[in-house]
Amino acid sequence: MKRSIGRICLAAFCLLAMCLSAGAQEKLEIFGYYEPQYVGTYVNESYYQLFTNKLRVDLRYALSERITFAANFDFITYHGKRQWNVLDFLSSDLTEQVPEPVRPLYVIAFENEIFLDNAFLKLSFPALDLTAGKQQISLGTGYVWNPTDVFNTKDVLDPTYEQPGHNAVRLDVPAGGRSTVAALYAPEASWSESGKLFELKTGAGRFDFMLDLIEVLWVFHDYTRFDPGAQDFTALPGKRRLVGGSVVGELLGLGVWAEFAYNWMEQIEDYYELVMGGDYTFDSQTYVMTEYYRNTLGKSDHRDYDLNDWMRFFAAEQKAVSRDQLYVFLQHPATDLLHLGVQNVLSLSDGSMALAPTASYSLSDNVELFAYLSFSIGSEGKAYGASNGHGGLLRLRVYF
Amino acid sequence: MRIRWNICVFVVFLVTSVMWGQDAPLTGNDIIHRVNDVFNQQTAYSKSRMTIVTTSGNTRTFVYESWSKDKGEKNLVRYLEPGRVKGQAILMLNHADDIWMFNARTQRVRKLASHAKKNKMEGSDFSYEDMGSGDAFIEDYTAERLEDGEVAGRDCYTLELTRKAEADTSYARLVIRVIKDNFLPIAIDYYDEKDPERLRKQLLQSDIREADGVPTAFTMVMTDRGDNTRTEMEFLEVRYNLPLEDGMFTERALKK
Repeated sequence: MKRSIGRICLAAFCLLAMCLSAGAQEKLEIFGYYEPQYVGTYVNESYYQLFTNKLRVDLRYALSERITFAANFDFITYHGKRQWNVLDFLSSDLTEQVPEPVRPLYVIAFENEIFLDNAFLKLSFPALDLTAGKQQISLGTGYVWNPTDVFNTKDVLDPTYEQPGHNAVRLDVPAGGRSTVAALYAPEASWSESGKLFELKTGAGRFDFMLDLIEVLWVFHDYTRFDPGAQDFTALPGKRRLVGGSVVGELLGLGVWAEFAYNWMEQIEDYYELVMGGDYTFDSQTYVMTEYYRNTLGKSDHRDYDLNDWMRFFAAEQKAVSRDQLYVFLQHPATDLLHLGVQNVLSLSDGSMALAPTASYSLSDNVELFAYLSFSIGSEGKAYGASNGHGGLLRLRVYF
Repeated sequence: MRIRWNICVFVVFLVTSVMWGQDAPLTGNDIIHRVNDVFNQQTAYSKSRMTIVTTSGNTRTFVYESWSKDKGEKNLVRYLEPGRVKGQAILMLNHADDIWMFNARTQRVRKLASHAKKNKMEGSDFSYEDMGSGDAFIEDYTAERLEDGEVAGRDCYTLELTRKAEADTSYARLVIRVIKDNFLPIAIDYYDEKDPERLRKQLLQSDIREADGVPTAFTMVMTDRGDNTRTEMEFLEVRYNLPLEDGMFTERALKK
């Protein structure tokens, strides 16, 4: 670990030196942010705290009008409760099934880390854009859930937080008017294991449309079986083929969007995901948004949620444990600098919900504060039930 | 007698000639078209500093570049400062009826519905509609000329613009003072969408100079009478009628 960190730092230093020695300091931009964060959770009559310090350093260097290099490093330290056992957040009827000796396997550990989050070269020509390297990939029109996005999973209470970079080569070709064609290849050990994406994007009137064809290697785990060879839970790798699409536009004065994906799975049953959303800003500047999400991999009866459902959800292998969910967000600018809001994630399948009052405050031009409290309302064993605990998050971000 | 008659004919001819030779007085419609021509050049580029003064007296400052084409029908805004918004970009087409926002941190482009054009741009007193509405003065309002007046020592036309029934704008009416010399608005009063008598915002333009031969107000101050906030916008650089490709005003370009 220390050696890899050293290598990354050395590479970063060499990169900086190269850029600076090129005599083009004015073309090299260095920026980023420092972000201290506090997370508190009250669960099982105990209160736990996790403190995080994150420093993100971004580099952007325009080699010419057509060629840009961009990268960022993340330095993150964790303090407080750095090991969380997922079983602490599950209902007792599920955790009772887990033998005592294997309970430590369900621990998620937060280790200090330094990593190259993004590093890519972008070539822009009139006829195409080519982006090669570790880059952010954002798919779909959904706000909280994106059925077509096989690369990222959002936190339902913090859906706009930036997503990590993915190693890929991406080609974007304008196809006239508002149409573009994108092809992406995310290399893995072999061609068949690598991710492939084709996207057609077009627009008509007040609407934008996207069609996506994706193939990736998807790894589910069986969290009830341990693989001694891998020293991990048994992996179930298999092809995931997705056909999906999304649309965003305006209908009767409302902002509307929808996103759909059908997944052909090699290892488990096929399933589909659907998102439908709408938003509106009132004259008072009050903003309201709602989004409905269906995932047929989720269960419609909470008594059917099993250990694999929960673990796959926490590991981002599946995006929900319950089949139908509704997200509602209401926000109002209390002052010019303070926005107050409330988020509500409701499982329509089991009736539980997470309620999260939020606040964001601009302390100065480059300092902002974001906070929310979250309350789980529902009986134990439900998607947002009492076993999830109550908690909150306080995040300060200082940009430079 | 004949001589007298000839003199009368001559006098009538002379008076008529003088009356015909005079310019007909400009109507509200004439003036607003001239304003529109000055305001909306074929293309424009600017680098601006926007300073928001909040109700509590705090300030927030942004620096951004903007490009417009086809007389303001297409607009692209890209933020340079502060670091918090660096790289964020907004594309407005069809006079801000279609808005796309690019978040550089998440690399996501989000299409906004037209209700969002009423939103404050980065919390300022300028809405997206104020920034990118192009020829809204002509398309969305009917103009009536009121009594001329003087603003900041400049002789001005006064126009009242009343919203057309079918128009989707945030203001019921506008009162505009236009400098007679160059047809540049020096002051605009914006009246509430639902209460046409309630003054919502006031724009004052100053530091008027020519840029590329076009009269330009290098300083604009928008005051929100309801919220008691103020936003000052200052042009750091302005250029007009420069070549801009259509490709600049696409979602693809938004991400650059």
